[in-house]
Amino acid sequence: MELVAFRAALDRWLDDEADALAPAAGAGTLDEHMAQLTKVKRLAFDAGFMRYGWPERVGGLGGSPLLRAYLGEALTSRFLVEPGIYSMTETLAPTMIDYAPEELAAEMMPRLLRGDETWCQGFSEPGTGSNLAALACRARRDGDGWRVTGQKVWTSLAQYAQRCVLLTRTGTPESAHRGITALFVDMDSPGIAVRPIESMHGVAEFCEVFFDDVAVPVGRTLGREGEGWAVAMDLLPFERSTALWHKAAYLQRRLQDLLLAAPDSALDPVQVGETVQLLAAFRARSRSTQHRLHAGERLGPETSVDKVLVAEAEQAVYDLAEAGLAPEVVLGGDPDAARWRSEYLFSRAATIYGGTAEIQRNIIARRLLGLGDDRA
Amino acid sequence: MEREERELLDRTLARVTAEHSGPGLDAALDALGWSAALATDPATAVALLFEHQGRAGATSGALDDVLADALGVPTGALVLPDLGQWDPPGRAEAGRVDVAGLATCRLQERDTALVPTRGPSGMEVVELKTSELQLRGVDGIDPGLGLTVVTGGAVLGGSTAVDADRWAMSVRRGRMATGHELVGLSAAMLELARSHALDREQFGRPIASFQAVRHRLADTFVAVESARSLLLAGWEDGSEVTAAMAKAVAGRVARTAMRHCQQVLAGIGFTTEHPLHRYVRRALVLDELFGSSRTLTASLGRDVLAGRQLPPALPL
Repeated sequence: MELVAFRAALDRWLDDEADALAPAAGAGTLDEHMAQLTKVKRLAFDAGFMRYGWPERVGGLGGSPLLRAYLGEALTSRFLVEPGIYSMTETLAPTMIDYAPEELAAEMMPRLLRGDETWCQGFSEPGTGSNLAALACRARRDGDGWRVTGQKVWTSLAQYAQRCVLLTRTGTPESAHRGITALFVDMDSPGIAVRPIESMHGVAEFCEVFFDDVAVPVGRTLGREGEGWAVAMDLLPFERSTALWHKAAYLQRRLQDLLLAAPDSALDPVQVGETVQLLAAFRARSRSTQHRLHAGERLGPETSVDKVLVAEAEQAVYDLAEAGLAPEVVLGGDPDAARWRSEYLFSRAATIYGGTAEIQRNIIARRLLGLGDDRA
Repeated sequence: MEREERELLDRTLARVTAEHSGPGLDAALDALGWSAALATDPATAVALLFEHQGRAGATSGALDDVLADALGVPTGALVLPDLGQWDPPGRAEAGRVDVAGLATCRLQERDTALVPTRGPSGMEVVELKTSELQLRGVDGIDPGLGLTVVTGGAVLGGSTAVDADRWAMSVRRGRMATGHELVGLSAAMLELARSHALDREQFGRPIASFQAVRHRLADTFVAVESARSLLLAGWEDGSEVTAAMAKAVAGRVARTAMRHCQQVLAGIGFTTEHPLHRYVRRALVLDELFGSSRTLTASLGRDVLAGRQLPPALPL
C-alpha cells in the first residue's frame, strides 16, 4: 500500500474507532500506559495497520517503512500511545529480522507487533554507560546452550518484558567489541531478577536486571557468536530513526497544547520562534531519514545527527513549557500539571539516554568528519 | 531535473564559482545557461548555485535573476530591500518613486536599475536610470561583496505591474537563495577548521584528537545539516513560513559556524593570511538580507503566539 492510501485509510480508521482506541480514564501511570499500548497494538494489528512496513515472513503485510513512520506519527500525536514505550518496537524489530534465525523471527515478531509481548533491550551495564564495548555480562557455552551471569541497567520496561535482546561478553574480558554475542532471552527464565529504578520524573520505566547463571538455548543467538557488536551497530541507527519521527510528532502536539494553555504574555516570542524552528528543522532532517529507509538505504552513523537534533528540540519544547506554565509545573496538583512536570523532568534525560549527546558528537567527529581517533 | 543533468550542473557550478567572482561569474553563468535552469527548476538551480557560491566565497548578480524570475519580469540589475528589511525597496506616490535599498555587484555594470515598488495601485517593477539615483559603493564589513546602497527619488517613468503575491514569492525565493549561500559559507568554514585541526599539532598530537575541538566541529556539522534539511523542506512545501524559518536557521547556523571555527582556527584564523575572515564577513551581511535570523525568529514567535497556532508541520 502506498503512503497516501495508507494515511487516508488509517486516519479514517482512527476516527471510526476513536472510542475503542481511547485510553481509559486514569492517573497516567506506567501500568496504564502499558495497558493502553497493548490494546492499541492489538487493535491496529487486527485491522492490519500495525503489520504494514514489516516483511511478510515475520507476519507483516509488506510495504514501505514510511507506513510505519506514519502509523507512529498518527498514534503518538493523537495521544493513543506514549512515544517512549512505543519506540521499543521500532528499535528492536528491524534487528530481530536481520539477525534472528528465520524461524525464531517468524515465531516471535507477530507477538511483538500484536502487543502480546513486550521486549526490552539489555545493553547498558553499571560499569559501561557510554563505553558499550566494555560490557561484562558474561555468557559461557554449556553443552547446547549459554549460561548468562551479570547485570544490566537502564533496561526500559524490563518489568513488563517477556523477552530481552541481550548483549553478552563471550570473548576474553579484554576482547572489547570483538568478544560480544547477542542473545534473545526469555525474561521468565530462572535466575533473572528485575528491579525498577525510581526516576526523577516519577515513572519507573528503567530497570536493573540481574542474571544469575541463566540458561539460554543456543538457537537464541542473534547473529553468530562474537558478532554482537555488529548486531548492536545494526540496532542503534533504528533507535535513532523512525522512533524519533514519532517523538517529533508527539512534541509537535505538546507544543500546540502549550500555546493553548499558556497565559497571555507568559511565553517569550523569541524563545517560541526558536523552538518552532528547532522542531521544524528536526522534522525536516528526520523526514529525509525516513525517505532514505524507504529507498532501501542502510542507516549508519549519520543518524547521530538526528539524535542530537531531536534531543535539542525536545529540551527546547519543555524549557518553553516550564517557562510558560511555571505555576503549573512548580505547584500544580491536577493531572495536566503533573504531566507537564513529568515530561519536563524526563526531557532532561534526552541528552543522556540512547547514547549521550557527547557520544553522538564523538561518533559524528570520527565517522562523519573523519577527525581520526580521539586518543592519539 | 534528471539526476545526470543535476550532477553535471553541480560540477559545472562548483567549477565556475571557484574560478570566477563578481561580473566574471555573471558572464560565466550566462554562458552555461543558468537562467534557463532557474526558469525550469528553480529549486535545483538555486540550491546548487548559492551553496557553491557560499563555499567559494564568490559573489554574483544571480540573486537579481532569482528575484526577477519570481517577479515575472526580464532580468537586469535589481534593487533589493534595505538591510534587514523585506519590504519592496521602492515606494510610489503622486507620480514619483522613492527608493531605499541595496544592489548586488551587478548594478556597478549597468546604467538602469529595476526597482520593485509598492504604489497606490499595487506592486510594480519600475525601471530607473542609475543617474537619477544616489549610489554609494559599500566597503563596510565585506568589501568583497560589491554591494551598493541605493537611495533617492525619481519621476515615475516606465514600469511593469505585477501581482502582489509576486513580491511575497520574491522574498521567499530570496530567503531560500541566501539561506543556501549561508549554508555554503558555513560548510566552507567547517572544512577550513576541520583541515586545520587535522594538520595542527600541539602537545605532540593533532588538535583534532582533543574532544573540546572535536565537539565544536561536530556541533557545527549538526547545525549545517539541520539548515540544509530545512531548506530542502522549504522547496518541498513552497510555503513562506518554511522559507523564513530556513533562512533564520541558516543565519543562526552561520553564526554557530563562525564561533566554533574561529575558535578552532585560533590565531591563524584571526589573520588576513587565512581565508576564514572572508567567510565571517560574508555571513554577517547575508544574515541581514531579507530579515536577519533574530528578526525572523521574533516575528515567527509573535505570529505563532498571536494565533496560538503552530505553522503546518512538514508532512511525511
